[in-house]
Amino acid sequence: MERLGSGGREGARRIGEVLTWDPLVRLTHWSVALLVLLNGAVLEDEGQPHVWVGYAVLGLVAARFLWGLVGPARARFTSFPPSLSAARLHVDEVMHGRERRHESHNPLGALMAYNLWATLLAICATGLMMESVAFFGVEWVEEAHEALFAWLMISVGLHVSGVILESFLSGRNLVRAMVGSFHKRSGGGA
Amino acid sequence: MSRARPEARRATLLSGVVLLQAVCSAFFLADVLGDLGRGPREGGSLAHNLLELGVVCALVVGTVFGALEVRRLLTRQARIEDSLRAAGGAFGELLEEHFERWSLTRAERDVALMTIKGLSTAEMAAVRGTAEGTVKAQAAAVYAKAGVSGRSQLLSLFIEELLSEPLVAR
Repeated sequence: MERLGSGGREGARRIGEVLTWDPLVRLTHWSVALLVLLNGAVLEDEGQPHVWVGYAVLGLVAARFLWGLVGPARARFTSFPPSLSAARLHVDEVMHGRERRHESHNPLGALMAYNLWATLLAICATGLMMESVAFFGVEWVEEAHEALFAWLMISVGLHVSGVILESFLSGRNLVRAMVGSFHKRSGGGA
Repeated sequence: MSRARPEARRATLLSGVVLLQAVCSAFFLADVLGDLGRGPREGGSLAHNLLELGVVCALVVGTVFGALEVRRLLTRQARIEDSLRAAGGAFGELLEEHFERWSLTRAERDVALMTIKGLSTAEMAAVRGTAEGTVKAQAAAVYAKAGVSGRSQLLSLFIEELLSEPLVAR
């Protein structure tokens, strides 16, 4: 039985409340994650399906870029500009347990997002080069493609640990913001 | 918040469509560029490829418009939730105002609120940790102070207020 009275329930809901990301952000996030997993672990490197999945990742990242320009405020690039000094300040705040709330990505998470996108695009670019007539069979392109994928895996590892650590320290479940609630009300939107 | 839910579902669905279009755009663009790079012998006629490029452009434009539509939907959804919350807040204020006017005690306010929310006497007693008889007496006091005969009249008092004036100014 819930406790009644002025504002009691509101307060309870606010504790540990997370704002869910909008559906386009969530869908791009998880489909890219799935496709990367598919290309990295399931499909053969040489096959045509690997190339198709690569195209799909490129399209999804492109869509997220479009969303970063025209989407709701929270998803727009202007809400989380890449800034080393802001990231350093954020780390300092988290260490001292006086973190501010960030409407969009926190400054450190923003750097990771840009890193992941840049890496994905670079992987796609080298992949496309390997498909092209001019660079077919050129060794350094293949090596770059593989090295970039290794970097992507390291980044993903850091990203996941960052999310877990931040959720633990802030008491807000950041994973829920990316999963979203399909049955309960979703607090996302513009 | 149930009114906002179909909007959310539509936004999710439309996002999926937009992403599908984006994926198709990338796919066809890569295909056309590959064909153009291979030259007319292997890659097909220039006219054909240019036509395909036009199709890709149309697809990209469609993707952009789709994305804008998703954003419009999300903005609308956020506005609906805001006004629902405002309406909820306004109703709460209305209740407080009346409770104040009837000079209800703290306990009577709780009972009145739970009565309006539709809790039974037994439930109210459980929530408040008192005997059912106490709750009944408190409810009777509320009805007396409000000048109504019982629960349904108490409710209709507020319903009437709600219908007589718009809660949220648009």
